[in-house]
Amino acid sequence: MKFKLVFLLISSILILSLVLAQTTPYKTTINVLVWDDAHTKAVKSLIPEFEKVTGIKVNFIALPTRSVLEKAAVGISLDRTDYDLVSIDEPFVPQFGDLLLPYPLWPKGKIFEKVDLKDIVEGAVNAAIWEGSARGLPINGNVYVYIYRKDLFEDPTNKEEFKKEYGYELNPPNTFKELLDVSKFFAKKPNMYGFGPFTIKAEGVTAEAVFIMSSFGTDILKVSGKAVKLALDKKKAIEAIKFYKELLETAPPGKLSFGHTERIQAFNMGQIAVMFQWPALIPNHEDPKQSLVAGKIGYMVPPAGPARRVAVTGCWILGIPKASKNKTAAAEYAYWWASKEAGKKLIEAGMSPVRKDLLSDPELQKTRKWYRASLEAFKYGISRPRFKDYARVSEVIQVYWTKGISGELTPEQAIDSMYNEIYKILKEEGYVQ
Amino acid sequence: MRKKVIRSLIFILALIIVLIELIPVILLFLTSIKTNMAIWTSPTPFHPFKPTIEQYIGVFRETTFFKNIFNSIYIALWTTFFSVLGGSLASYALARFPLKRKKEISIGIIFTRMIPQIALAVPIYYMFRKIGLLDTYTGMILAHTTFNLPYVVWLLLPFFQQIPKEFEEAALIDGCSYIKVFTKIFFPLVSSGIIVAIIFCFLGSWNDFIYTLVLSNVKTTTAPMLVTTFVGMYAPEVGKMSAAGILIILPVFVLALTLQRYIIMGLSGGGVKG
Amino acid sequence: MSNRGNKSGGVKPRQIINNIIFLGPVIAFLILMLIYPLVYSLYMSFHKWELTQITPPSFIGLKNYINLFKDPLFWHALKIQIIFICIAIPLELIIGLLIALLFQIEFKGNNIMRTLLLLPFFILPSLSGTTWRFILHPTYGVFGAIYRFLGKEPVDWLSNGTLTFIAVIFQDVWRTWPFIFITLYAALSNFPQELKEAAAIDGASKFQIFFSITLPLLIPAITVACFLRLIDALRIFSEVYVMTEGGPGNATTFLSIFIYKNAFRFFQMGYANAAGYILTTIAMIISAIGLTRIFSREIYEY
Repeated sequence: MKFKLVFLLISSILILSLVLAQTTPYKTTINVLVWDDAHTKAVKSLIPEFEKVTGIKVNFIALPTRSVLEKAAVGISLDRTDYDLVSIDEPFVPQFGDLLLPYPLWPKGKIFEKVDLKDIVEGAVNAAIWEGSARGLPINGNVYVYIYRKDLFEDPTNKEEFKKEYGYELNPPNTFKELLDVSKFFAKKPNMYGFGPFTIKAEGVTAEAVFIMSSFGTDILKVSGKAVKLALDKKKAIEAIKFYKELLETAPPGKLSFGHTERIQAFNMGQIAVMFQWPALIPNHEDPKQSLVAGKIGYMVPPAGPARRVAVTGCWILGIPKASKNKTAAAEYAYWWASKEAGKKLIEAGMSPVRKDLLSDPELQKTRKWYRASLEAFKYGISRPRFKDYARVSEVIQVYWTKGISGELTPEQAIDSMYNEIYKILKEEGYVQ
Repeated sequence: MRKKVIRSLIFILALIIVLIELIPVILLFLTSIKTNMAIWTSPTPFHPFKPTIEQYIGVFRETTFFKNIFNSIYIALWTTFFSVLGGSLASYALARFPLKRKKEISIGIIFTRMIPQIALAVPIYYMFRKIGLLDTYTGMILAHTTFNLPYVVWLLLPFFQQIPKEFEEAALIDGCSYIKVFTKIFFPLVSSGIIVAIIFCFLGSWNDFIYTLVLSNVKTTTAPMLVTTFVGMYAPEVGKMSAAGILIILPVFVLALTLQRYIIMGLSGGGVKG
Repeated sequence: MSNRGNKSGGVKPRQIINNIIFLGPVIAFLILMLIYPLVYSLYMSFHKWELTQITPPSFIGLKNYINLFKDPLFWHALKIQIIFICIAIPLELIIGLLIALLFQIEFKGNNIMRTLLLLPFFILPSLSGTTWRFILHPTYGVFGAIYRFLGKEPVDWLSNGTLTFIAVIFQDVWRTWPFIFITLYAALSNFPQELKEAAAIDGASKFQIFFSITLPLLIPAITVACFLRLIDALRIFSEVYVMTEGGPGNATTFLSIFIYKNAFRFFQMGYANAAGYILTTIAMIISAIGLTRIFSREIYEY
């Protein structure tokens, strides 16, 4: 009967697929969850080397940042974990802190040496600390660095025009006022804009908001131990928003939904004069295959605000969940990844190092001009508020900062709402008596 | 003569409508054959550019494309199998068995399909986590079956109902069991309905996003996840996303074109007389 | 008389076995995979349950629900969900109906075009979302190009709350009117031609035929189509998630996005479950009304 044949055919397909889906058993395997960019792509390409030397098979999972956070949260608990090694973005270390093995307790590596935290830039180590101990190994050195079009700033015609209009030498901006001036200046040029903002709804907005507000002299939250206090100075915050609004006017079209993609593209197409950038993404600008301005870029520490100079840090740390059954193997992999030798190879492919020796290596500094700026910037490093309920607060900051700079709310309304919302969260979570 | 003119006008009108409707897909395709630079420098079809297949190669090389597709197909096949099997059995029973409160049971079963998936996803996530079914094929198949099974019941009900009573009465009088009646008589009779059920179960599973997002991870990631890996990446990957998109749409399109008769039946057959 | 589902007048053991074989698997499955999670979800909604906390969840009774009702974002999500439904579905209905009527007329290529029109409905909703996100981009999207062509500065739709909302509606209508179209088209094709012809012979005008014969006969099909669309519109998630992530701000944070965010961004499982429950309740009420209506037309007793 025809139906019997069909049934047989379908069942054989099903059985065949069942066979194909069988996974073959391996010895020790570790599951590694990391973010996705050029750096981790490079790490992935070097896995065969590691596997050959150690016999540890590595399941390397690279996801967009947001997904990493989600997968980590759903995949890790005290009694079970999907991952043996997980990368946690700095502001979320407090949230996961209790679930991760403190670094001092990490097992010593049999093949690779346990990395000494003293070899790592201080600003990055601070990123990993929660309740007294480092919860993992900082692995990528992200800190606010400002990038600018060296060619445009050194162009004599520009220098002349600028001097005439503003009365001082055209130089990479050292203060916020200079930042605004140069942005306005370049925005007037044909097919050219000034400042590259970060405005799309994502962590990057919180970083920008914290950066600007802190430069104007106000923190958002003051965390000391388990106590969290709302420390937002409304007046200074309002000034911060007003300043950013002015900067925003010099930005390219689409300025209110500028995310990493748009920023990288705009800068690479030559439209932006100056903006901040995470060192992890800088290789995208220096790649002649996707950037028209490769080789024409200058790097420096962020300009100083009216109150102080700060640079927001955003390092990723590698953590081992307490529930992992492969701690030694995972630690081995982390040590290999963070070693100087691997670092040298990974840098070629776009890694942004945290090791002091790599960042200050003169050879490397010659070809990667932003290392100097990174080292400098770390000295001014500040972090976003560090406590368990950061995710909710970050959301509030994102929503109201954007509403304030887009004009949907007046700066006063935006800051008021931000203040009240954050207060509500603190109250709900028991930080306010 | 006048009729001919009207016909041609309507033809043109229909053509315009179809073209407008398909513009996003056309644009997606065009983007998938541009280089990364070209995507930014020549955004519209009016800007000339040199077509390339590098985006497609990129998708094949840099993502777990084949694994995703395999997973999608694998999960879809199994959930379709279970849903059609279980669903047709139940649907038949509900249509033909002398049961009290049949209507309520039927509505109850179909009711379950109306539950918003996100509301189910959270507790199912928790359940699976506890019993270790997260990111397993079994888990995904179970999850997909939750919306496929009721759908099959709903779909096949009118089909079963329309068969005259005499068919089974004769067989039952002869002493056949209900099972025999079902397999030998009814199942073949509703074959067109079964085909529709198969198609829609497969498509429903293929298109599922929420359960995949929440319940799967590396091992069982499916086709819709390919799209999300491109959204949210740091560096611009619009080209590869478009290429991946076209690759995912293609089989669905082909399926739809060849099986359109059944699809129309499926979309209009559930609950509509005729 | 004990066993439910048995016809009155004697318990037939054979019948029970049949019931179990045919209906058993389905009902068992649904209880396991649907009823149990729902009950569990209710249980979770009564607790303060954070995903990453190391202390066990604490029972807080109805507090989550109370907080939900006090949460302006929840009401906002509900509001835009309703607005969305009230605008999108009628649009889809009208367009679908008009084009279904159009295609009733015989012309060359009718078949092929019909099939082509179906295609957007089969695209992954998430793919549809990303495609539209990309089309709306002011720099490399077609929208941007159109603005520049008209000599204006491109407007960034996706950073303006209202425009984004409109774009989401647009996207949804684009993707789903073919479904209504094909449902109505099939229903129309099954119409007894004689009715229309009889009316025409009797001298009725095209309009009269449409309103007094065609439209009333179409009502069952319209009801089913709208009902299914309504249920799907309540659950809208993936298209919006990839297109806007609920933004800008919270302009497109529909209920399902609200639930997802609370569960997997803020890791507040108890709160998310409470919201999920309310969404489910709404869906249930609508389904109850719709399904009983639809089923009252089916022949059931025989």
